[in-house]
Formats: sequence, C-alpha cells, structure tokens
Amino acid sequence: MDIIESKTWIEWAITIAKFAFCFVPVLYILLLIPMERRGAGFMQDRQGPNRSYIKIPYFGKLRAFGYVQNMCDGTKLFFKEMFAPAGVNKLLYYVAPAIPFAIVFLSPCVIPWFGPMIFDWGGETVSIAGSIIDSDVGVLLLFGFSSISAYGAMLAGWASKSKYSFLGALRTSSMTISYEVCLGLSLMGILLLAGSFNLTDIVQWQENHVWGIVAQPVAFFCFLIASIAETGRAPFDVAEGEPELVAGYHTEYGAMQFGLFYMGEYSHICINSFLIATLFLGGYAVPFVTTETLQENMGVSLAVLCGVLAFIALAFLHMIYRYSRKLKKTNLTHRFEVLKEYKLYKIVAWVATVAFIALGIAAWFFYNPENFVVNGLAVGSLATAVGTALIHLLVLVAKSLIFCWVWIWVRWTLPRFRYDHVMHLGWKIILNIALINLVVTAVIAKLLGGN
Amino acid sequence: MLALIYFIVLAVIAVGSAVCVLLSRHPLYGALSLVVSMVSLAGIYGLLGSPFLGVVQIMVYAGAIMMLLTFVIMVLNGARDSHTPMFDKVSLFVIPAVIVLAGLVGFALVRSPIAFDAATIRGSVAITSKTLFDVAQTGPGYFVLFEVLGVLLLSAMGAAVLLAKKRLGSVDSEKTEDKH
Repeated sequence: MDIIESKTWIEWAITIAKFAFCFVPVLYILLLIPMERRGAGFMQDRQGPNRSYIKIPYFGKLRAFGYVQNMCDGTKLFFKEMFAPAGVNKLLYYVAPAIPFAIVFLSPCVIPWFGPMIFDWGGETVSIAGSIIDSDVGVLLLFGFSSISAYGAMLAGWASKSKYSFLGALRTSSMTISYEVCLGLSLMGILLLAGSFNLTDIVQWQENHVWGIVAQPVAFFCFLIASIAETGRAPFDVAEGEPELVAGYHTEYGAMQFGLFYMGEYSHICINSFLIATLFLGGYAVPFVTTETLQENMGVSLAVLCGVLAFIALAFLHMIYRYSRKLKKTNLTHRFEVLKEYKLYKIVAWVATVAFIALGIAAWFFYNPENFVVNGLAVGSLATAVGTALIHLLVLVAKSLIFCWVWIWVRWTLPRFRYDHVMHLGWKIILNIALINLVVTAVIAKLLGGN
Repeated sequence: MLALIYFIVLAVIAVGSAVCVLLSRHPLYGALSLVVSMVSLAGIYGLLGSPFLGVVQIMVYAGAIMMLLTFVIMVLNGARDSHTPMFDKVSLFVIPAVIVLAGLVGFALVRSPIAFDAATIRGSVAITSKTLFDVAQTGPGYFVLFEVLGVLLLSAMGAAVLLAKKRLGSVDSEKTEDKH
C-alpha cells in the first residue's frame, strides 16, 4: 500500500500515538471533579467530601485528598439502573446524552499539544505536527463541534416530555447561540493579527511576537466571559435554577445518562481552558524562551523542568508537614490514623523530590544531544524532539490548569444572573465590545503595516 | 480508492437522511435528518479538497441555522406529537416536479466531464480569501458583491424584525389574544 510506505515507521508510531490526546478531557474530568468539590469546600470554609477511603496495609486508610470519593461516585453512577420515565421519546431520550460526550473526543484533535516535531531520522528530515489534525481551519472546526454539541441539551429537553426539561433546553440553546456569536467575534482580533485559522500558526505568532493576552486584553476578557457562559455553569446557569426549573434539561435523567451530561460539562471546561491557553497565553510556548534556545540547551532545559517538578513536590511536603504539626496539637480521636496516612504521602513526596533532583543533575551533565541545521530549519535528533514535546506539553497543561481553577473560582464566588440579564450582557454589552475591539484592531494592524 | 470509499459512505448517509427529511411526518425528526444530511455534505466538501467550505457548512448550517430552526419548531408547538399527513393535494404537483428535476440534474451530471481527484486543494482558506478579496487578481467584482450581500442580509433582518413587531401590535393579534 502506498499510503503506508509514504511515511517511516517512526512517523506512523508518533502519528498514531498522538490519538491518545483524545482522552485528555476524560482525564481532566477525573482531575476537575475533586478539584471543584474540594475547591468549593475551601471557599465555603469547610472540608469538602474526603471521607471515603481504601484500606491498605501498614498505612491504614488511604483517602488521597478526596480522590477516592470521586471513584466511589463514579462507581455508583455506573451501576445504577438506567431508567426512562413513562411517556418519553425513547430513541432521542437515549441518544441525547451521547451527543455532547461524543464531541468531547473530537474536540482535542485540533489543539496543538506541542510544537511541530522536526528531527533527523536515517538521513531524512521528518516533520510531525503537534495537533492530531493539522488543518487550515483549526479554530473553525472547534466552533463547529461545540455548536453541534448543543443539540444534546436541546434533544434531551424535548425528549423528556417534561415542562422543566423543555424550558431548560430552550434557555440553554438560546444562550449557547447568543454567546457563540460573542465567542467568535472576540476571537477574530487575534486571528487577524496572526493571519491564520490554524492554531499552530497562532501559537507560533505569539511565540515570536507577544502573547495574545497582551496584544488583545479586551478580547481576552470577552472570550473568557463568553466561554464561561457557554459551558452553562454559574453565574450563567440559567438553565438549571433550582427554584424555577429543577435541574434544567437533565431533570429526568439518572444514573450514567446524567453522568454523561455531567462529564460533558466538565470536559467542555477542559477544552475551553485549553483553547484560551492556546489563543491568549501562548499555548505550548515556554515563557521568555524560544523553541530554538530550548533545543540548543536541551540538557539544561530538562534540568530546569525537573527542578520545577522537585519544587512542586517540596511544596506538597511543606503542606503535609504543616497539616501534621497542626493535627498533633489537637486532640481529635482520629488524628493518629490521619498521621499514619500522611506518612505514606511523605515517603512518596520525598522519593519524588530526590528522583527529580537526580534526574535534573543527570540531564544537566550527561544529556547534550547534537543539533544541526538543514535548509534553515533546526533539526535535532529524535531525543531532542521528544524532550521538547514533553516540555511543551507540560507547559500547556500548566497554563490550562490555571483557567480550570478560574472556572471553579468564578462559580463559587459570583451570584447567578437572571435570564434577561444574561441576554442583556451577551447581546448588548459583550457583542458590542467585541465588535469595537475588532474594528480597532483591524485599523491599528493596517496602520502598522500588517498583512 | 480510500477517498472513493469515504465518498460512498458519506453519499449514502447524505442521500438517505435527505430522503428521511421528506418521509418523516414529525417536523423535529425532519429537522434532525436535515442536520445529519448537512454534516455528511460537509464531509464530502472536505473530501473534494475544500475543508474551509465543509467547516463553514457545519458551523453555519448544521450549527447555527438548524439550531434556530429546531428552536422555532419547539417554540411554535410544532414539537407536539401531531403528525402531518404525508401526502395531500399539493403532492400531485410537487412529486412529478421533483422527479423531473432529479432526472434533469442527473442527466446533466452524467454528461458533464467532471474529474474526481481528492488530492488537489480547491478551497483552502487562502484560496477562498484570494478569490473573494484579492482586488489585484480578480478586480473589485467579488469584493463589492460580498459587501452588497452583507447589506442585503442586514436589511432582510431589519425587515423581519419590523414585520414581527407590526404583527404583535396589530388589531388582529390583540383580538386573538382576547379570545384566549
């Protein structure tokens, strides 16, 4: 087959391995749900759900900071009976939750997870794009997917044959339509500056010039507000107000069907925070360092990366030691159990710290892959390319985690809007600001002699 | 070969769901089949080397316009489980007209020399924007046309709003409101 022989095996291996990124939103759900519940607890000055545990020998009850609770909830949802109320439209009732969740696996395809990998393989220069689909129309594809995923809520509301669900679905879909306009328009400024729909090009423009948040601060806030509204969480949760609409479009759902909506919401947050990080915070680009510098000093960069990870492990240790000291002074009955559990975390964190420091020192002294230039492109070995991709990926994840926290922060601090206020904000304020921003950007770009 | 397989799959879905639009007796099912048809059409556009057109098809037609359409069907009580009859007197004229039109289009397509080549790019973002807006290449023709179309759509929207408002405040609508 021609199509198989057109690439070397290493290209095929990396291209197929890239499909693993489709599962990133699902992994983020696992991360986000405990983060949200403990975060809510933190803001309301309580503990949050952290009492479930797994019993292990010697260390006692392992609670893993609320992550075990997450596993319990997931198991409960999985094994609950799927139940359809009488009178629902059976086909659409069962299909509807699958739509937003199926889109979850498609959306990560266009996000560039690392810079283009260019390396030398057996005398040939191999180039692999950082996104699964390296298309000219990247961002548009993402918007197309997100507009289709709104059908899930709409069909769910209609198929449930319940007034609450129906009103919730109408509200959700009208809000999605209106805020998608704001989302697209506020995005246009940065597209204009970068001169491309391709997300990799946009990130490269930001790497060579300035980050989007500096070039387009107004558009950044419009985009942030519009994308928070699009996920339909508080303060924009008009679709599921408890006093008026019970739970909105998924009132009649239970078990894993409800779970699919729930997971769809969280993975929407994940995708949107990756999108904001890519468009406005320089995506995979490392702050203040270009990719070329990174590749020339590969060993040092890996050492710095290990140093940062070791620092995080040390910060975790500091937290654990502070908790233990506080706990020892109290006379809670379960304090010895908790201290025994903390012993495990201390061991793990100390091992991680030592391992990271050792790895960093080893990388600094012994890892210096050679780089050469072919046709003006910096071409390194496979090891350099993989190291760069790893650093890029971790930087992107760190940036997106910041925005995930913004979502939780906003949800638990701001009071919710009334429905007409949401529409007023969308159509009369954000849309106009985004339009003016676009015009101003276009004029300035033209005056400064852009394309 | 691979492109041909994709094309056959997408074409079967597109034509099948288009037939479903005609045959479904419930307006919401009709709208949903239209969405499926449009999405698979977008796939065919992508296969023909114009991904930009395909994505715009998904975004504008499947995403925005059909969403509004389903919204209207739901709000205007079309979503009640009342089934409309599949055939009535108008069908006597419509069905022969559709068959004749399909025959004509099929005849024209079979006779015309269209070469299918999936490798060439016909409608990427750069090519589309150059064709539309590059004044040096194509003259101001498309550029002016594009702007005029924009103004036309805007005026149509204004007219629709005005008409709707007039209906709301008119004597007829107030009378019907009183009856309820």
